[in-house]
Amino acid sequence: MIRTDVVIIGGGATGCGIARDLALRGVHHYLVEKGDFANGATGACHGLLHSGARYAVNDPEAARECISENAILRKIARKCVEVTGGLFVRLPGDSKKYRDTFLKSCEEAGISTDVLSASRALDLVPDLNPAIEEAVTVPDCSIDPFRLCMLNAFTSRHKGGGILIHHKVVDVIREKGRCAGVKVEDCSTSHIKEIRAKIIINASGAWGDTVARMGGSGVPMTLSKGSLIISNHRLTNMVINRLRPPSDGDIIVPNEAVCLAGTTSIPVDDPDAIEVAPHEVDIVATQAEQMIPRFGATRIIRAYTGVRPLLKAASSDSRSISRGYRIIDHKNGMYSVMGGKLSTYRLMAEKTVDAVVRELGIKAHCRTAEIPLEGQEELSGYPLSKRLKNIEGVVCECELVDRDHVERVVNSLGTQYIGDIQHRTRLGMGPCQGGFCTYRALGIMLETGRMSPEESIRTLRQFLQRRFRGIRPALWGDQLREEQLVESIYLGILGMGRAE
Amino acid sequence: MSVYEYDAVIIGGGASGLTASLYLSSHGYKTALISKGDPVCCLSTGCIDVLGGSDTPLDLPEGHPYTLVGRETLTEALSFFMEIMAHAGLPYVGEPGRNRRIITPIGTTKNTGLVPCTMAEADPAEAGHLHVVSFKGIKDFYPSYITSRIRNSAFSVFDAKVGTTLGIATRFEDNAFLDAFISWLHDLEIPHDRIAVPAVLGLEDPVSVMEKISSATGRQVFEIPTLPPSIPGMRLFRALKRSLQAKGGHLYWGREVSSFECQAGRIEAVTLSTTGRPSRVEGKVFILSTGSFVSGGLLASRDRVKETVFGLPVFVPGERKDWFNADFFAAGHAIEKAGIEVDDTFRPKFSKMNNLFACGSILARSEVLKYQCGHGLAISTGMAAAKMCEGMLS
Repeated sequence: MIRTDVVIIGGGATGCGIARDLALRGVHHYLVEKGDFANGATGACHGLLHSGARYAVNDPEAARECISENAILRKIARKCVEVTGGLFVRLPGDSKKYRDTFLKSCEEAGISTDVLSASRALDLVPDLNPAIEEAVTVPDCSIDPFRLCMLNAFTSRHKGGGILIHHKVVDVIREKGRCAGVKVEDCSTSHIKEIRAKIIINASGAWGDTVARMGGSGVPMTLSKGSLIISNHRLTNMVINRLRPPSDGDIIVPNEAVCLAGTTSIPVDDPDAIEVAPHEVDIVATQAEQMIPRFGATRIIRAYTGVRPLLKAASSDSRSISRGYRIIDHKNGMYSVMGGKLSTYRLMAEKTVDAVVRELGIKAHCRTAEIPLEGQEELSGYPLSKRLKNIEGVVCECELVDRDHVERVVNSLGTQYIGDIQHRTRLGMGPCQGGFCTYRALGIMLETGRMSPEESIRTLRQFLQRRFRGIRPALWGDQLREEQLVESIYLGILGMGRAE
Repeated sequence: MSVYEYDAVIIGGGASGLTASLYLSSHGYKTALISKGDPVCCLSTGCIDVLGGSDTPLDLPEGHPYTLVGRETLTEALSFFMEIMAHAGLPYVGEPGRNRRIITPIGTTKNTGLVPCTMAEADPAEAGHLHVVSFKGIKDFYPSYITSRIRNSAFSVFDAKVGTTLGIATRFEDNAFLDAFISWLHDLEIPHDRIAVPAVLGLEDPVSVMEKISSATGRQVFEIPTLPPSIPGMRLFRALKRSLQAKGGHLYWGREVSSFECQAGRIEAVTLSTTGRPSRVEGKVFILSTGSFVSGGLLASRDRVKETVFGLPVFVPGERKDWFNADFFAAGHAIEKAGIEVDDTFRPKFSKMNNLFACGSILARSEVLKYQCGHGLAISTGMAAAKMCEGMLS
């Protein structure tokens, strides 16, 4: 049995942010996450560090929070944020009146804007639709959500916090009407551990209600699915938004070598049973094409979808629900932090921890807005020059990841999960989406003795099925060609068809 | 513009186009084969799958292009192929009516029709002990997958100082390297009955490499086909190409058809794009063997599928949302049915080009993965279409 002060459930941005905040205030804690970091909405969003402009008209409070957190994160998370700047582009037919309201609302929220002529905007982003009427600059950035989680967790671990990924909460221990801890299952061994704590923080996003119910309470939530597609080129160096009221397919975000375009907004019930429908891909691709015409001729390498855990509201239109957050004190030793968004994860963590330390009777104030994330310098480190040094040993040709790098990650994590390697090395993130290199990474894990051959093949099968789920809605053109080649390898050459 | 005249012009240099060209050249017709590059065949195992999914590979599935070929022509095409390959120094073994089993790189079993003789001893079910040899740094071959599945097996690793299949195969062309490999093997004192090696035993003459190793060790030796780029696939393609050249077939390699001329229901010529002068290639008959999606004969966009050379009407199985099953491993995604529908003379239906024929995986309903019929379909429809051309030419 483990004893600690606080247990955090959920390894998304909010959970990891809370862990770092507690660590900096000297509060002992454990974080448990059923998957890898950023397993839920954090890892399935478009990686935008909002300027707040998108919310300025409908949700001024959220807009103000965004712009203030935007400034903080640029300072404290430099290695996770790419200061791209953003444009809101107005296409022929988009309301000029909305543009006026938009500019006024941005000003009121403290978001700096600049109106550009079409030709000035095209100078900045040459692939923009030349028919645009005008564009407005905003301080949008792109952010790496996975790296952000890892760095927050790094501080926690460094200061003695416990981080258990691939551990699923199966029960909340209740004593005398209070939550006294959690029972977690190690997902690779099915072994159950008990963690006793004074306070439990439920930061499990879309799974929040399920967790709150284990504690004898509940949280009112609305789940909304948002689907995105990834192009295999970086078609813009700035975030491109559509200057019109929020709607499907109104954003393109550059991220490393690719672009993410999204999103849709469709109410869902079960966060574990969501899929991208081919027509969602068509909607997003068609809309993205209107802003950047070359998007239509670019290969789409994958589609994915995440669930936004929104606060319950009377409205049935999920876009009009506030993207604000709420901290619920269940008065039974459990706090739930609900709603919000990636851009304001730090603020949500701060407010949650404020409430928790008050209950614990600890006097310590939040320092996460001033102290830069620890461990960033090491993370900067896998430049192309290093990757090219060992070209013979490259196992992932798309992202130039070599065998040594994979072995280092396998040995330092002792992991059984291929996803852990992919997140930490970018293996399999390129156009083939792991179609060729995952087999190799598993072969390496097999040779290091981390896995038996049977486990390795089972993992490969699971990976191929998961990969196919992401690729299937966007199969045409070159991606379809490649998919058929991948099928012929696994089902043909390796004989992994159903009969197994 | 340079102008060239032929009896038959074949577009697409994979197994089906090569077979059609070989058949027509052997029968004295002046033949040209146009290919935009090395074919998908080079990525294959080199084995000739006839109907890998079936215990009775000569029971041809209804509605499949095989039924247009017929059992007799299928058998004839396979023996034509075996004759050519034996002559090219890369003999194949097997019989059309019975599938053989070979070991895959992960130790599973693959059913196939004919295999190159370097895989003749590759049946995993065969009794006796097995020793697998791997190579240091090779990226797509992990022998413990095999030894975990096959009882009484072990493996050892040789350092060839290079880690790619193509690199190792090239080294096996060198006698000094082969001798060093054999002496290393000899020192291992392998107690097993058979020795398995990933398919890297040379590019040109794997048979003599295999025989040398076999006689030096006193063990049967066989190859396991690897992932692309696949040496047995390359050997197969090179041997067919060489045989065609020997028979006087003309090759336009690295060339793409940029346009075609059609008059009074006949294709007169195709134009090949080049950086210099374009070439006009005239023919009495034309065969389309550009393959399916992977090789670029078909191209899918978000809402339709087009045939890339002549813009022929394509059979498309429903809307995009129905093209793929949810299960990656379930054989038979609907999109595999996409292709050109032909009549029983292998001429595209709904087309006004009367001297155009089609063969290979571009044919509608060929479902190569589902039926595991890749090269078998290519070779047999290649020959069948060539025979139809012959009928028109004579």
